[in-house]
Amino acid sequence: MSPLLRGELLKLRTTRTFVTLVGVTVLLSLVVVGLTAILADHFGKTDVRQLFTFDFSSLFILLLGVTAMAGEWRHRTITSSVLAAPARARLLAAKLVSYAVAGTLLSLIVTVALMALGTVILSARGETTLGATDLADILWRNLVAAALLGAFGVCVGGIVRNQIVAIVGLLVFAFALEPALLSLVPDVGRFGPTVGAPSGISGVNAGGDNSADLLAPGIAVLVLCGWVMLGFGVTAWMLRRRDLV
Amino acid sequence: MSAVEIRDLHKRFGSVNAVNGLSFDVAPGRVTGFLGPNGAGKSTTLRALLGLIRPTAGTATFGGRRYEDLDRPSTRVGAVLEDASFHPGRSARNHLRVLAVTGEHPMGRVEEVLAAVGLTDAADRRVKGYSMGMRQRLAIAAALLGDPEVLILDEPTNGLDPPGISWMRRMLREQAANGRAVLVSSHLLAEVAQSVDDVVIIAGGEMRGRGTLTEVLGGDEGAVTEVRAQDPERLVSALEQHGHQLERDGDKLLVLGTDPADVGAIALEAEVALSLLAPRTRSLETAFFALTGGEA
Repeated sequence: MSPLLRGELLKLRTTRTFVTLVGVTVLLSLVVVGLTAILADHFGKTDVRQLFTFDFSSLFILLLGVTAMAGEWRHRTITSSVLAAPARARLLAAKLVSYAVAGTLLSLIVTVALMALGTVILSARGETTLGATDLADILWRNLVAAALLGAFGVCVGGIVRNQIVAIVGLLVFAFALEPALLSLVPDVGRFGPTVGAPSGISGVNAGGDNSADLLAPGIAVLVLCGWVMLGFGVTAWMLRRRDLV
Repeated sequence: MSAVEIRDLHKRFGSVNAVNGLSFDVAPGRVTGFLGPNGAGKSTTLRALLGLIRPTAGTATFGGRRYEDLDRPSTRVGAVLEDASFHPGRSARNHLRVLAVTGEHPMGRVEEVLAAVGLTDAADRRVKGYSMGMRQRLAIAAALLGDPEVLILDEPTNGLDPPGISWMRRMLREQAANGRAVLVSSHLLAEVAQSVDDVVIIAGGEMRGRGTLTEVLGGDEGAVTEVRAQDPERLVSALEQHGHQLERDGDKLLVLGTDPADVGAIALEAEVALSLLAPRTRSLETAFFALTGGEA
């Protein structure tokens, strides 16, 4: 592992934000999944799959990535970061990878926890549960989506730079604009970075009613990778050109 | 070879010429004061040197290499910038640990530099609770982490209390005594006068004066020695025999183009008792205003 990447991962671990985020994400995901598993009736296999894709780690790591990169400008730590690593594209790449790793770990913790809780409750109620193959299938989808969204968040934060504007803008985009696009114009919306492609990866249409509108998981992964690469290219170009006065 | 070489550096921001053809060197083992009024281009020059801004033209290098081309730059150059910023939620120790990991420095260096700047006891507190002086000390600890050959400090005494300024002055001298090249910008002229060996004065982005502190304070006259003798005529005669030019200033003689050691030796040879023997210098403030055209 490169020193730059280890440095970025250490940055993540040495503020309270990440630990708090893990706690909040686990708690929120468990509450939602637990209540749904307790209160809803007649679970079919598809319902259980949907239930287990309902973890908040993708959203939270997306926001954490935005916060981290925009925070470099907000706290003016970008100067010391660039002094420590003058190759700005490499610095950005390290941050991007570190948030992909963080997203993977966060999603692993959350998904495993909610699968365990959900399975225990559903078993106790005599409802349908999933076998190991289905659980593994859901797990990889959740991990990949969280990893790519963590990296994408870093790019958004690097492009917008204003932390508040970036977070509010992203929330509006992810909760209003993109779901609307996916619902109204699915041929376009399914390629979106925060709902369309992630829904394709998970196989659960978060913005529309018909999962047939979604991209196939493999294609969705490639599309989201494309968004990350595009974001990285734009952010690296802006970062390289910018004078740090 | 000079530790820092700045050659014909230009930086333009839109229609503003922030730095215009600046050239100077910084030598190892010496503290070089980089002076100029607000907006003179000091910070821009230092940031261009550190690769944080791109020069419009010219070069700013360390031993001939740009900062961004240095291998493990923190082992070559340590920098304390005017707006040294830290993540408010991270402790000083963790801030330094991140830099140590990124710069591939042994973790033991973290404790060493914390001790060197007197922050060991506060190292686990989050930086948002730090005073300005503590933040400056942390910035210096970060700069020293890689045991660099060159230290760049932009207005390091800003916000420091008198003990902090005194500490900073000692620290600068210690670093130079250890062979490091130190380039320090400041607008606190009296402070600089007590700390530096060489001076570079800029205004309007252009060079206005440079040299050793003595040379810059001496102005265009070169060295001038003030001397007061119990038998002035005998001393005048002795000095004129040695070919020195003299001027009178009240009861003092001004010996042009020589230093006190030379004048003292002549007085001893002539067996003239002296009650004053000193170099005549302008104050740094006077020199500064003269060179910058009173732009401060």
